Amino acid sequence: MNTQVQNSASVGQSRLLLVHKLYQQYAGMLLGYMIDVIKNQAVAEQYLIDIFKNVPHELDELTNPDVNPFCHLQAMARKKLADYSSRSTPENESKPALCNNKYTRQMTEEQQLIFCGVHWHGKTIASLATELGKPEEAIRKILKDCFTIIRSNN
Amino acid sequence: MKTQQYIDSGILETFVLGAASEEEVKELLYMKAKYPEISEALQQLEIDMEKLARDLAVEPPSGTWYKIAQEINAVIPHQDASPQVFNRRDSRKRPDTENGKDNQYIEVEGESSHMRLHKAWRWIFAAVFVLGKIFLAFAIYFYLENKHTQQQIQEMRTEIRELKNKK
Repeated sequence: MNTQVQNSASVGQSRLLLVHKLYQQYAGMLLGYMIDVIKNQAVAEQYLIDIFKNVPHELDELTNPDVNPFCHLQAMARKKLADYSSRSTPENESKPALCNNKYTRQMTEEQQLIFCGVHWHGKTIASLATELGKPEEAIRKILKDCFTIIRSNN
Repeated sequence: MKTQQYIDSGILETFVLGAASEEEVKELLYMKAKYPEISEALQQLEIDMEKLARDLAVEPPSGTWYKIAQEINAVIPHQDASPQVFNRRDSRKRPDTENGKDNQYIEVEGESSHMRLHKAWRWIFAAVFVLGKIFLAFAIYFYLENKHTQQQIQEMRTEIRELKNKK
């Protein structure tokens, strides 16, 4: 059978360009998020490299018009950070998950505990419900209020 | 009304924060496909997430993209190098095909005359360079020392000779 391995450089190059475009748009946002989570810039940078190294495998999903590329990349970052979160869970679970930025400063302490706990500390709705002694539905409603605050902030 | 209840429940927020369970995700994707209001609400939340992240963004160091590109370049060619059906019309004629032979061999010789080395070699080369300089310094020192000693021996011989002559 006559077969020929054709030069794949142009295909590889176009994929790399797509990854670069995503990097230019979202790398800073992802790095900022990961630094807030792990509080270590060098480790966060290494995680950023690891995430973008895997982006070529996710290009179909990332270029899907129904998918928000940033949220997909953030989900990849969350997966990557899951190990880190689970390693530090025993300490973190006992500590209140507060954070300090222009959005969270407008939230009540309870809202901060819930929003920061989920977004930056990887806590589950169930664990927060137990921690705060509230039903999961109430935790979700508070999360919704947090988003209303973020949306109203300019 | 049902969709509004669903939106107000906070499940969409839980989803964009990556805290939804598998069942919740399945249900949400179904609802998103079925109800445009839910899809719109989800898009708005995704925009909020981008807004939050943009305000807290940190510029990566300049060399980060280079590292990523190097790693991707090492992987992409292998993934894309899948064999494709030979098309005689599209391909350039080569000496062996002109002679009626099948094109069984692939030219694998690289065009680049450069060689890529692991970064660890940088330290090895630096160590060899520094050691070379140290050996050179020692060689010069011992050469001068030897020359000086030879001169002293010569002087002493002359003195001994003179003393013998005096006796």
